[in-house]
Amino acid sequence: MTQRVAGSFRDPAGFVFTRDGVLYRQVNRTFAETFAQLSSSGLYDALVEQGLLIPHATADVEPAEPATAATVIRPEPVDFVSYPFEWAPGQLRAAALATLEAQRIAMDHGMTLRDATAYNVQFHRGRPVLIDTLSFEPLVEGRPWVAYRQFCEHFLAPLALMHHVDVRLGQLQRAHLDGIPLDLAAGILPARTRMRAGLAIHIHAHAGSQRRHADAGDAPKGRSFSMQSFQGLIESLTTAVRKLEWSPPPSAWRDYYAARESYSDQSLEHKEVLVDKVLAELTPQRVWDLGANTGHFSRIAARHGAQVASLEMDPSAVELSWRQVAEDGETAVLPLWVDLANPTPSQGWAHGERMSLTARGPADAALALALVHHLAIGGNVPLPAVAEWFAQLCEHLIVEWIPKDDPMVQRLLASREDVFADYTQEGFESAFGEHFSVERREPLQGSVRLLYVMRRRART
Amino acid sequence: MRRVVSSAAWVAYLTLGFMTLTIAPAAAYIDPGSGSLIFQVVVGAAMAVSLAVKVFWRRITGFFSRRNR
Repeated sequence: MTQRVAGSFRDPAGFVFTRDGVLYRQVNRTFAETFAQLSSSGLYDALVEQGLLIPHATADVEPAEPATAATVIRPEPVDFVSYPFEWAPGQLRAAALATLEAQRIAMDHGMTLRDATAYNVQFHRGRPVLIDTLSFEPLVEGRPWVAYRQFCEHFLAPLALMHHVDVRLGQLQRAHLDGIPLDLAAGILPARTRMRAGLAIHIHAHAGSQRRHADAGDAPKGRSFSMQSFQGLIESLTTAVRKLEWSPPPSAWRDYYAARESYSDQSLEHKEVLVDKVLAELTPQRVWDLGANTGHFSRIAARHGAQVASLEMDPSAVELSWRQVAEDGETAVLPLWVDLANPTPSQGWAHGERMSLTARGPADAALALALVHHLAIGGNVPLPAVAEWFAQLCEHLIVEWIPKDDPMVQRLLASREDVFADYTQEGFESAFGEHFSVERREPLQGSVRLLYVMRRRART
Repeated sequence: MRRVVSSAAWVAYLTLGFMTLTIAPAAAYIDPGSGSLIFQVVVGAAMAVSLAVKVFWRRITGFFSRRNR
């Protein structure tokens, strides 16, 4: 069955579709000549060699819409599609720098990016890579960068807000799928950011220019935009982005393992051994680590050959995990900033442009270690509801049960009334038993906790 | 020193900038925003100069760091 990918409709140059589980991109006739230049200019090879553009092969298949088609290509598939509002600041920054580097290389080959949306970047084998092969067009001397505004709204504004105001403002990207309006960013940023050359120009003054020319159909005239100006603009944006390196403040979560309050060393070690053993048996290809913290257990899964989406609600922990990916050149762990009590919904036009977290599954296996008590007690989600959603996410589930008398649960209950009469081992087993069969149950040494390995029941 | 380079570069790039007086219309599927296009042209000369200064400065520091090696 041929199906056009819902988010792929804006650009008349072509679109992405799936057929029998394979992803293709149709290049339309109107864009054929420009697309040919990507290869003939040597740009395609240069970008792929640098790992900045997703490689593709020509696909000898029937186009999805033959009437408009010139050719069909088959891009290398990305393991897990993620979105900018799910990235830690360091990931958005890396994606921004990759975009600018691609633009610089494109200019050396007489081409330029015709868009610069953060959604054109995916993390593939541990690195940011441009996935829209149709993003390049010939560079016309004298013409300003058509994607300048989009770059500032998609990258610079959220990075500046996270760096200079509060990292949580990264979530504004979820509301503004088309980038954060510059007047909004300029209004929130503190006055001192006007003293920083990059932000003063590309956000504050840029927003001012947008305001002044908002109504009239003004077009630049008189003076032109020289190649030196264009190169200077890219260099200036690069400097501005480089300076926006967020340092994660200490948080309860990122220092979780170091502090080890909740664990005896013995119980943590035992949990590692058990999880390692289970993963060695299951050998899942796609693992979701739910509540991953800095990705300790994600990396155990990666050692067994899995591609791991490492989902965590604390941006500091995600940032640290990302740095480990970047510094060690890890290719199998993708840290993502996701609050599981409010996971990414399907968004955009007709709810179809950006996929919900659930729609990106199911995983072969999910880890839910030291998580359920946060959802059930911290988030007031009844255990049957937790079990029901988990059953949509994975085939196998490795889940830790933490009873009420554990110190971590006691801490959650310290300042509130215990209205969780059903939060018992029996309640847990009965809730999860509705959707999963328990394959294994092990007490964690040195604690009151239990580790379960479950398998989703066949749907009737 | 920096000031001399900077003003020389200014003259060079302003001359360059004014040499071509037309601008091709942007054909794109995204809205580049007229305020954003005009803004680039306005700051274009300064961008070019600052890049020239940067490149020049890198050459000088590169020259001395090579000599010191």
